[in-house]
Amino acid sequence: MIRFISSTWEKFKEYIVLVVLIIISLALLSQNNSQGIQKVRAVAFGSFASVTSVFSDIFNISNLKKENEELRRTNAEIMLQLSRLRESAIVNDDLKGLLALKDSTKYPLIIASIISKSLSKSQGTVTLNVGSSSGVKPGMPVITDKGIAGIIFSVSANYSIARTLNNVDLNLTVKCERTRENAVMKWKGDRLVMINVPKTFGLKKGDRIVTSEISSIVPVPIPVGIVAEIGNVEMGIFNEVTIQPFVDFQKVENVFVLGLVKSKEIDDIEFNFLNKR
Amino acid sequence: MIKPAYIVSFILFFPLLLIQTTIVPLIAIDNIIPDLIIIILVYYAITQGQIYGTVLGFIYGFLFDIITGSLLGSTMIAKTIAGFTAGYFSSENKRDQYLISYNFALIVLLASLIESTISAFFSSVSLNTNIFILFIQYALFPALYTSSIALLGMIFYPKRRLF
Repeated sequence: MIRFISSTWEKFKEYIVLVVLIIISLALLSQNNSQGIQKVRAVAFGSFASVTSVFSDIFNISNLKKENEELRRTNAEIMLQLSRLRESAIVNDDLKGLLALKDSTKYPLIIASIISKSLSKSQGTVTLNVGSSSGVKPGMPVITDKGIAGIIFSVSANYSIARTLNNVDLNLTVKCERTRENAVMKWKGDRLVMINVPKTFGLKKGDRIVTSEISSIVPVPIPVGIVAEIGNVEMGIFNEVTIQPFVDFQKVENVFVLGLVKSKEIDDIEFNFLNKR
Repeated sequence: MIKPAYIVSFILFFPLLLIQTTIVPLIAIDNIIPDLIIIILVYYAITQGQIYGTVLGFIYGFLFDIITGSLLGSTMIAKTIAGFTAGYFSSENKRDQYLISYNFALIVLLASLIESTISAFFSSVSLNTNIFILFIQYALFPALYTSSIALLGMIFYPKRRLF
């Protein structure tokens, strides 16, 4: 028996090692969301990110001048917009007061820099230099001055990993700013699309897309992009709408984490409601 | 007794990942980036043998997944099989031939193609998309980019072993 095992091992050891390692990998695949794995992940990327942050700072210095010029231009544009918006805000405040709506525009912003990027065609992630000590929690939106960039996925004390919109695992409910119609947006590996959009929806090329209030991840409207192409599926009742995102993930370096996670109270009440049905 | 090459290959992963996540994105072409880790994996699989290549692929994949936040297990499987494939070219008497620039680049191309194809499989991309186009975008372009970088590196490869 021992001789048989020994000769089998000698003949097929490469294949045995391969099979064993693949089985271990498959076992780990099913454990992705377990608490233990999340803890190991937080320690691993937290330690590595502390080194990466020093390295990325060196590269960021060379980009600062260019970024500064861009910021000054953006600042001037925003200043012009602001004066127009002030006028609108006065009217808006009056109307809100009349309707007794809560002021829901004050969300805390946590300034962060991207210290490393894992740019793959399907699983884009970025590591940020802010973590739980700055108040960052999983599920918080990551934004730039142009719009939403991603969602916080994992957090350590001083660093966090965010899934970008170029990640097949991130689905968001979005809506058209003009028509107010909602749909689910996802990354299809080569483009960002709104899926299962009924053909009766009145979306047009150039329409602005923002995150929807009904989203369980980002329940406030944040700009996402514009409609670039409306698919014309001949069979069926649904269309696919391609979105051109406002944020260029290849170039983005500095971001904000929106200090907002959906209210636990809302989650609980919705969960209880569904349970009772 | 652990060979020094084994320790070096493990330690080498960390500076490589540092470069992969900070500098390499700067040379991305339409989000297509070369994979420096696969180049070193192929090098060690050829010089140290198939079993070593397979185990090293597994370790590199695990570290990559855990540090970058990818789906844990996806890169592990992809790199394990890539290391196993590259290990086929580790025969004692032909080893030096395989480390010649264009031969090495071709092996990197093969291993990278396998790695990217498996990774793409785990990205659960919709099947409505044309599989042929996905293969070209996900696997072929990154593999070609990676092997070009390997070719550049091996042109400057010294005749004696590096590690």
